[in-house]
Amino acid sequence: MSTDLPEWLLARQEPFQHGDGIAGGKSIRRGFVEKSVDSMSLVFRESFFAERLASRPGLLQGIDPRVKVLTTILLIIVAGLARHPTTLLALNLWILWVAKVSRVPLPMYLKRVWLAAPLFTGIIVFPSIFNVVYPGDPLLILINFSRHFRLGPWTVPETLAVTYQGVWGALVLILRVGASVSLAVLLALTTRWQVLLKALNMVFVPQVFIVMLEMSCRYIYLFLQTTSEMFVARRSRTVSRTSTQEQRCFVSGSIGALWNKAYILSGEIHAAMVSRGYTGTPKTLVSFQISRLDWLWSLFVLAVSLFFLGGDRIVAW
Amino acid sequence: MHIPDGYLSPQTCAVMGAVMLPVWAAAAKKVNNVQKTKYAPLMAIGAAFTFVIMMFNIPVPDGTTAHAVGGGLLAIVLGPWAACISITIALAVQALLFGDGGILAFGANTFNMALLLPFSAYYTYRLIAGNSEAASSRRWLGGLAGGYIGVNLAALAAAVEFGLQPVLFHAADGAALYCPYPLSMAVPAMALAHLSIAGPVEGVITALAIRYLQERNAGILSVEASSSPLEGHSYKKLMRGLGMLILLSPLGLLAKGTAWGEWAAGEIEAKMGFIPGGMSSLAERWQAPLPDYGLPGFEHNLLQSSTVYIVSAIIGLGIIFAITYIFSLVQKKTTPDKT
Repeated sequence: MSTDLPEWLLARQEPFQHGDGIAGGKSIRRGFVEKSVDSMSLVFRESFFAERLASRPGLLQGIDPRVKVLTTILLIIVAGLARHPTTLLALNLWILWVAKVSRVPLPMYLKRVWLAAPLFTGIIVFPSIFNVVYPGDPLLILINFSRHFRLGPWTVPETLAVTYQGVWGALVLILRVGASVSLAVLLALTTRWQVLLKALNMVFVPQVFIVMLEMSCRYIYLFLQTTSEMFVARRSRTVSRTSTQEQRCFVSGSIGALWNKAYILSGEIHAAMVSRGYTGTPKTLVSFQISRLDWLWSLFVLAVSLFFLGGDRIVAW
Repeated sequence: MHIPDGYLSPQTCAVMGAVMLPVWAAAAKKVNNVQKTKYAPLMAIGAAFTFVIMMFNIPVPDGTTAHAVGGGLLAIVLGPWAACISITIALAVQALLFGDGGILAFGANTFNMALLLPFSAYYTYRLIAGNSEAASSRRWLGGLAGGYIGVNLAALAAAVEFGLQPVLFHAADGAALYCPYPLSMAVPAMALAHLSIAGPVEGVITALAIRYLQERNAGILSVEASSSPLEGHSYKKLMRGLGMLILLSPLGLLAKGTAWGEWAAGEIEAKMGFIPGGMSSLAERWQAPLPDYGLPGFEHNLLQSSTVYIVSAIIGLGIIFAITYIFSLVQKKTTPDKT
């Protein structure tokens, strides 16, 4: 790409990276303002990304959103009921295949699903593979103390070992969390969010809740922008280090200020709705059409669920 | 505190969802009666507010940051029923659009964060603040205690939900199927983190936000008191119903046995005293082409039969992958390419 723009304008720059925490010669550490602004901008990035992906042609994008919501819930239940790592591994592979034929960019998808959720689960579940925490048959003996001894209320067993049951349970949990998270992420990535919320009507969510969901989604963006601006304004006026207490006061002040604004805004929205004829029962335009392909897909997912659950029951016993 | 899918068994999730249904219905009715047409916009804005608050990084003394839920503050300014609806909506947005907190575990998450947290925070606040002036220091002290107690109760509930899993569900050899930690480990671990960090953060943030509101816009603190949806006859009835449900729910958790309606002929006989005629004749007539996924004449030894299982599974998987691909091809044909 050749442009006449100067080099420094094209260079990618993270906001606030320079100068932060340099005072006192210490290493750079991101403060609470930067972290908050970052996580807020991530919401915008994700929603733009999902919107773009949802309008691409692909397998899941073409399925009726109501069918997609129901089949996703069914598959998450299947993942919840499966008890064998092999079943869960196969299920995960199939979900990956569905993502691939739905043209979801795999590196980003894998990073989002298989880096965050299972890593976190792995850390939580790690202690349970040892016999000190979760009793079971030893698989790998690490230390042999050669006798029992007591440590306060705990009795430490003769050996410290990795147990068969512990590893098995950890594997099942990680694979199951991975499958559930990937199904939820796929649903959100391949459906336009406004449409997804409307589709909830199908799973017996009352209309008024759906209207509130849609409204709150819209105002989340507004509030995120408002708070980002508050934070950036504050950050740009801060020249020295601030105490933790001062920072907490600023954060709570922002929360209070945001609530003031939000409350006034809700009054204004209400007035605007009433003046347009709102009487308390919301009306929405919903026009979904279930095609033959959607029916076939539902039947197929049902068959897949039976296949996985049946297979699971056979290998698990 | 957002429980992802996979940690709790689907059975537990179903029970928690069933507990939440009457709560949502009652909350919707209560708030609708008080707020009338204001209801939808106020709840939606409350939800958006909660969502944004959950993204705030709060500085803690050791130099790192933590997150607050903000549910206590919302309960104090809007009342617990309204807070219940708003937090539910915020959690729904997080679960559906951001994959944060499970879809099946939604009932459990809302039970902890949209029911226990706002109600306990609100009543603690009421107990301490009483009928004091809007500018009184009892208000923010109430917020401090309310936020602290609310978050800790919610965490305790989450810990109990985790801790029940290994007791209720495990494989035949004792391997855990869901969260592996029993109550004796889950409760202390969650309590330690929440009593020492998350609880104080929530309490301090709630108290400081109330002090800010007292200074800048004290009127907003009495919004809830002037339109308290707590009076009324149906309140007691609802509480009774809820109490019943809470008492009954462990039964659902403890119920063991075969899934309803999936009895084998032998079990039916034990339950009913006889096998229905149609069923026994069907059971005899229906011979699966691959009985128990095995090929006829192949089930002589373990090695052979397990080979058959593996081969059938791989063939089955292959078919599933192929059909999925065919779906995507058909899809491509029917939808015009926009890129």
